[in-house]
Amino acid sequence: MAIVKMSKFSLFAFDSEMEDLLHELQKFEYVHFVNLEEEEELIEEGLEAVSVPESIVEVNEEISKVRYGLDLLSQYYERSTGIKGMIEGKTTLAFEELEKKALEFDYHPVYDKLRSLAGEISKYDEEAGRLNTRKEELKNWQGLEYPLKDLYSLKQAQVFTGILPAKMKDKLEEELLELEYVYFEVVKEDNKNLYIFALTSKDEGEKLNEILRINAFSNIVLEGEGTPKEELNTIEERLKALKAEKEKTIEKVKELAVYVPELEVLYEYLMNKKLRVAANENFLKTEKVNVIEGYVPTEKVDEFTKIIQKTQKNAYYLEVHDAEEDDPNVPILLKNSKFAETFESLTHMYALPKYNEIDPTPLLAPFYLTFFGMMVADAGYGLIMVIGCFIALKVANLSESQEKFIRFFYYLGYSTIVWGLIYGSVLGGLIPIPGLIDPATEYQRLLIMSIVFGLIHLYFALGIKVYMLIKDGQYLDALFDVGFWYMALSGGIVFLLTMVVPLPAIVKTISKVVLIIGAAGIVLTNGRSAQSTPGKLVAGLYELYGISGYVGDFVSYSRLMALGLSGGFIASSINMIVDMLFDAGVVGIVGGIVVFVGGQLFNIFLSLLGAYVHTIRLTYVEFFGKFYEGGGKAFNIFRSKPKYINLK
Amino acid sequence: MAFSELLVNHGGVVFAAFGVAVAMLSGIGSAIGVGIVGQAASGLIIEEPEKFGRSLVLQLLPGTQGLYGFVISLLVLGKMTLDMSLANGLYLLFACMPVGIVGWFSAIAQGKTAAAGISILAKNEEHSTKGIIYAVMVETYALLAFVMSLILVNAISF
Repeated sequence: MAIVKMSKFSLFAFDSEMEDLLHELQKFEYVHFVNLEEEEELIEEGLEAVSVPESIVEVNEEISKVRYGLDLLSQYYERSTGIKGMIEGKTTLAFEELEKKALEFDYHPVYDKLRSLAGEISKYDEEAGRLNTRKEELKNWQGLEYPLKDLYSLKQAQVFTGILPAKMKDKLEEELLELEYVYFEVVKEDNKNLYIFALTSKDEGEKLNEILRINAFSNIVLEGEGTPKEELNTIEERLKALKAEKEKTIEKVKELAVYVPELEVLYEYLMNKKLRVAANENFLKTEKVNVIEGYVPTEKVDEFTKIIQKTQKNAYYLEVHDAEEDDPNVPILLKNSKFAETFESLTHMYALPKYNEIDPTPLLAPFYLTFFGMMVADAGYGLIMVIGCFIALKVANLSESQEKFIRFFYYLGYSTIVWGLIYGSVLGGLIPIPGLIDPATEYQRLLIMSIVFGLIHLYFALGIKVYMLIKDGQYLDALFDVGFWYMALSGGIVFLLTMVVPLPAIVKTISKVVLIIGAAGIVLTNGRSAQSTPGKLVAGLYELYGISGYVGDFVSYSRLMALGLSGGFIASSINMIVDMLFDAGVVGIVGGIVVFVGGQLFNIFLSLLGAYVHTIRLTYVEFFGKFYEGGGKAFNIFRSKPKYINLK
Repeated sequence: MAFSELLVNHGGVVFAAFGVAVAMLSGIGSAIGVGIVGQAASGLIIEEPEKFGRSLVLQLLPGTQGLYGFVISLLVLGKMTLDMSLANGLYLLFACMPVGIVGWFSAIAQGKTAAAGISILAKNEEHSTKGIIYAVMVETYALLAFVMSLILVNAISF
């Protein structure tokens, strides 16, 4: 249980059979390769790193083609959204099915067609872009009523078109008077520029040009057939036609969107293929033989060996032995009961255990369940959670991680109901039921209860540490690091209690003695890693100072009460407001219902979020702090993480 | 003379009402905190609108202080009577201070932490829950203050 036992394997296999082997191993899924390129010993012996085969370039190319198709088509593919989408979920396929489906589908025709359609679209876009620039340009010349075709090739006359700054207008007009045959027309004038048309005889052309030039004229040659207005009309028509054609092409693209599911399956298949090819990077080789090392779960070794036998027709060499307990490189795979596995995400989020540690998941689960319930503590909210999660689990097609997440809240819902009944709270006191404790008045009892829960939680954590030390045969460490702490804490707590609660004098004496032995033990032994004797004592004293940390830990558990109370009070505040609204006639009743539903839903969300993270805090800081180190590497199963489907 | 008389005769309810106002100071902090996170989140949503849900969770975190203050305000409101003594009124005022003041500043600090959590969400969505946990660490002290105010308010009945 808990951390899956691993076996380490070394395999020598012929190069020629590698592809088949890796393929079969990917079906098998539970194999984790060790990167041998970091093993200098082997490299010094003359083994070479396996360079990634060229086929990876091919795979990458195929992936980018499929990706291209998906990017373009997904926007047109109609998926069920909202609740319907959630219920339908992703398609679930086994690995063999995935391969079969992917190989059945030839994406090339789709890709080629898509490419050419996209080419057409960009051609249309390009032309439209060109036309639009021309349109912008011609807009300024609408006032010019001559056809553009022969404008610049008149026999007798020379024509100038262009712009010059508006402030030059008066000066220009004056200067033009000097010329004899000039015709001058301002086609358009805005606050910056003049758009002018000027015409003169060929002889005078030079002079006119000179005058224009000194007035900062810039020449614009207008191209086209008809008058600017006619030209604009043709452009408009062409643009309309282009738009229609583009739409038609887009329709054709949309038709291709039916292939999206196939493309998605293909994508997953290719990603797995890529992983398989890239796995070669982990191996070393001689001329014809590959050296592979890795881990498989011990319970699957037989299956693994069979796969090797099946795929290796030639000779091979396989060595499998149990992974070493203290090897930091052993990858970690967790396996827990159906109940505890829903809490694995919490362990993952903190850190995976090392191979020689224990999996804290089943140990933290019962506390998490209890504390979460205590923080939400409303039977109504709990019932909503249980029913909601139950329906989701029954109806919706969920991926494995989603299913676990919802089941997690399903279990927490029960705890919430139980605590709600203890507190006598249903939807913030909407339905009055007699509870065991009234949180509004007996918060003193709740506070004590919270601290006691904290005590149990911490003692349990210390107990796990004892277990781990004893498992490793470090009996003295167990006594020094935990035993004395148990004595000091228990002695201290009982001693403090005797001051508040009347207890027989003998209890006081015993607790005092236990406290002193524990404290002395801590001072004498906990600094043992220091070099000198005085150093040991000082370090020991410092360790004893850590008892203030325990005080902080206990206080931290007061949140168990505080969150329960705040959630409860907010809920009853909402009910209070609703009550007031209900007194205000029909409008008030409608408003009251809205406030009630909205407010309670908001409070459910807030309470669940608060309880979720605050319980995590108690677990990570207070509980894990006492015994858990973590830092193990995750076991990477030999599959690519699916994006569009659920892979079995 | 008249003023001190007024104070003695009616000061109780005035100070209790002042307490209600002080408890709601935590709302200022929450508003600022929620605002800070909202600004940070808006920048993220431009590029990745699908992260809206998770960013909303982060934005909500500094909002709880205001609610704690609100609960304490309501409780004090329930205890107010027109003829309460000056001492009782002052007592309620001081009872409101922990949640009002600690809530105010802790919500701002929490808002900053949560806003930093938005960058975890932006760059490494898988680990964004850790950003939530960091922000919740700040809330511990607001919770403790809330508990203290609650105990103080409930400890007496007039």
